[in-house]
Amino acid sequence: MKGIFLVLILIVLSVLANGQTVEDIRINRYVDLAGTIGQSQGSLSGSYVHNWKLWKKRKWEAGFSLRWSSYFGTKTEFTTAPARLARTNTTPFLIFFAGQRKETQDTLTVQRPFTNSVNMAINLGYNFNRRWGVGFNIDLIGFTFGRKSPAILVSNGEMQTEPAAKPASFNLLLTGDHDRGSLNSEFFLRYHFNDTWSIRGIYEFLFVEYKTQMTKQVAPDGTVVDRFRNKANTFGLGISYHFKTFRNI
Amino acid sequence: MIRLITLALVIVALTACRKDLTSDAPVQDAIDTTTAITKYSGNFINGPYGAVSGSAKIVADSSFYKVALVNVQITNGPDLHVYLSREREPIHFIDLGKLKSTSGTQLYSLTSIPDFTQYKYVLVHCQKFNHLFGSAEIEP
Repeated sequence: MKGIFLVLILIVLSVLANGQTVEDIRINRYVDLAGTIGQSQGSLSGSYVHNWKLWKKRKWEAGFSLRWSSYFGTKTEFTTAPARLARTNTTPFLIFFAGQRKETQDTLTVQRPFTNSVNMAINLGYNFNRRWGVGFNIDLIGFTFGRKSPAILVSNGEMQTEPAAKPASFNLLLTGDHDRGSLNSEFFLRYHFNDTWSIRGIYEFLFVEYKTQMTKQVAPDGTVVDRFRNKANTFGLGISYHFKTFRNI
Repeated sequence: MIRLITLALVIVALTACRKDLTSDAPVQDAIDTTTAITKYSGNFINGPYGAVSGSAKIVADSSFYKVALVNVQITNGPDLHVYLSREREPIHFIDLGKLKSTSGTQLYSLTSIPDFTQYKYVLVHCQKFNHLFGSAEIEP
């Protein structure tokens, strides 16, 4: 057994001794910190991104990332979340273009929302040149934890106190109002200072969900609703540190 | 540099806390005693998170109803609102707006006329933290 290990170690050492490494320009790996702000709400996020540069010119890139998003606000409004009660058409993807069902939507005003979401995301980007690029990313799946908060549910014109609304814990991208939980997405413009540092100007669209515990909406069809969604439109900045990736030749 | 940043953060935090507080300047809204009729009234008692003294009245002036807080003294707190509520700890309520001041006599308009046998409590309530400062049970 010892002999086999010795041989393996010798093989690895000989490869390392003889092999040469070069920077792998096919991969763009970076960590990013971003902050955005909107009306009575904002977000902070940190992510690790691994993108592959695509095709011959390598202007396009796509990949995955792991993102932590913190959302905070003051007296922010969350509306009825289930797609069937929120939209006039619930066909996946067509739901984006469907109208709002105002008659079945109630409003939950969460007094001090604060959530933390950890999600797997996908990324897509296009680099115009060495300095400038644009990109998009969206969360796919993950989990959320955060602060319970008092809230006020306005249902059929009546105000009711919810003593402790809590963040929905499971996140899943299912398109439009079918989504569950808290999911972040960004459109951004990037400027590279050099090979290592870049900044991003960001438009962020963040879904956040809170669930009521004591106070529920009763929809006209009798459905009892405890899930309410806020769609935050925010703008901000991000800063990225790009790693150098090497490969053997 | 670190001291400067710390100082800036402390100032921002204190400013943010102050922003939520109610004005201390006394308000003296006039109740026209020649036309207004007191329909319901009651005295305030302290809640678990604050102290409120004085009384609450429902006054009718022609077809308009108003809630009057009369000669009140209220502990200051963040995001204080005046509620007309079915329960002493508010579950079903009507929000009459932000408390105008922690002292004086203040009038709050009702946009509709609720059933005062159900909505029989006038509350001073911290909305942000869901904390009751004081309540008055109103009776004919």
